[in-house]
Amino acid sequence: MNPHLSELLPAYHDGELTSNRQRQVEKHLQDCPTCRAELKALEELSSLLKADFVPDPTPPERFAAQVQLRLPRASLSRTHQREGQPPRWVLGVPLALIIVWAFLQAALTVTAFILTTDQVLGQPVAFFDSWIPTEGLFQTIASLLIFNTILLMGTTILWSAWMALWLAWNKNQNESSIKGGVT
Amino acid sequence: MDDRDLITYAQQGDRQAFTELVCRHQGSIVSLTYRMCGDLRLAEDAAQEAFVRVWQNLNSYKPKYAFRSWLYRIATNAALDSLRRERPTAELDSLSLADLGTTPEQSVEENQRAAHVRRAIAQLSEPLRVVLILREYQELTYQEIADTLDIPVGTVMSRLNTARVQLRHELLVLSEET
Repeated sequence: MNPHLSELLPAYHDGELTSNRQRQVEKHLQDCPTCRAELKALEELSSLLKADFVPDPTPPERFAAQVQLRLPRASLSRTHQREGQPPRWVLGVPLALIIVWAFLQAALTVTAFILTTDQVLGQPVAFFDSWIPTEGLFQTIASLLIFNTILLMGTTILWSAWMALWLAWNKNQNESSIKGGVT
Repeated sequence: MDDRDLITYAQQGDRQAFTELVCRHQGSIVSLTYRMCGDLRLAEDAAQEAFVRVWQNLNSYKPKYAFRSWLYRIATNAALDSLRRERPTAELDSLSLADLGTTPEQSVEENQRAAHVRRAIAQLSEPLRVVLILREYQELTYQEIADTLDIPVGTVMSRLNTARVQLRHELLVLSEET
């Protein structure tokens, strides 16, 4: 019995077999008319497909000019820079942190000004009594400095955490490769 | 200057370098999209769209991958999108032979045979058609096809075999009809 090698014939036809396998198929083909016919059918199909030519396309220079017209209007570098940048919300959160910090800092400064003025004038403001000592100028300034330091440290920690997240995101983006842009 | 240098320049915003890339690959890309679409106007439109996508995504291209595989993948997707957009409801087998185009250099008989081939290819499912075209017309190796379509080599082989069997059957049916 002569077992056929039908499953190897397409790869043989496409030149995809290893040299050993190729020799095996060639040897088999000498003795097997069925596989020879199968191989011939594959060759005829390829010839038939290749006999159909592509009509003359647009000349390359004209084609390239048409492509240029379809490119985005923004300059390439700017387009690519924008593509390389993180989404706006990634930058928006640190910006919001700065604004909040600036607001609280301003509020603290105004409070400090009122308190110290009141201390100098000898008229403590009852409103601040519950959370800032208002009985001595030195104690008041020390408390305000502690508040200020806590505020600054908190903002810095949040900012650093956000930057770490952004760097991780950016690294992840850079690792996206061949699939990018392909639908 | 080889493709890699041109890509590097294009990634930095050099439009001339990108134009050179387009000119170099236009022939093979239009050939690919033409085999996919079966219509030169549609094929050139899809090829142009593919190059626009290449431009827009140049920064995501990594030199460790073959540029040709990346380009073919984008072109294949552009051609399929173009086909879906242009003929969203038309059945492929309802296309007349005239729709499929002929070339003046070919005789009437050759034109008819070529139209049969294009029609038979058009009747294959998209996955089978893409693999067949990349192998038979673009002459990519199995590994290159696998890289282009991001599928295993075994899948390439099985799809190619199925495509050839179906194509032979379709061609037989079409030749009996005429």
